[in-house]
Amino acid sequence: MKEICAIIRRDKVPETKAVLEEVGLPSVSIQSVEGRGRQRGDVACQLQDMDQDGQICNALHVPLRPTPSEYALEHTLPKVALFVPKRMLTAIVPDESVEAVIEAIIRINQTGQFGDGKIFISAIEEGRRIRTGELGEEAVA
Amino acid sequence: MKMVRAFIRPEKEQEVVLALEGAGFGSLTKMPVFGRGKQKGLQVGPIYYDELPKTLLMLVVDDGAAEQVVDLIEDKARTGFIGDGKIFLSDIEQAYTIRTGEAGL
Repeated sequence: MKEICAIIRRDKVPETKAVLEEVGLPSVSIQSVEGRGRQRGDVACQLQDMDQDGQICNALHVPLRPTPSEYALEHTLPKVALFVPKRMLTAIVPDESVEAVIEAIIRINQTGQFGDGKIFISAIEEGRRIRTGELGEEAVA
Repeated sequence: MKMVRAFIRPEKEQEVVLALEGAGFGSLTKMPVFGRGKQKGLQVGPIYYDELPKTLLMLVVDDGAAEQVVDLIEDKARTGFIGDGKIFLSDIEQAYTIRTGEAGL
């Protein structure tokens, strides 16, 4: 069994749920989280604004909200970390379905803009259905 | 890759996040959680708090950087009193960026 933890845009949740049903693995936990990625919470950042190291380097870049460091420099205020609201989907799936689920999540959630999110895969040692006490892959099927 | 999950005091969140950003670990996810630890909550006079609010920080880093991240969080989140929180490390087998579909952080 594998745990697939996908952090996605809020508005993509219904579509993602629908595509997981298509794949045949509708069981999923959804949590409301806040996060920041390589752009450090700057929602206005575009692809051409970043250099190889992921630093925002375009002089013409006008963020919707100022980036923490720039804002702090300009206003001599304490730095604030910015976060973007996201949804975290956690699904436990059998080993053989992992590839299909990842492919489906990427297909639905890809917009090409920053903020599409990440998927993390980790191993789950054991699962148990509380109602019946079933063990292993039977419990998640 | 390692996933670092840190349960910290909510008021320490900004300090920890900015320290991580300064060290080059700008990417993380946070969520508010409620929990209790070894002391089974907190008693203030006659009032007993069973579950206390904490912030869960979740970040995935390369194997070599995990130690540094844990040290950093520990250093910034510590007050020396009970309720400072816990840090958990777990293995991540693979990560994908949805925008590009590529594997890796």
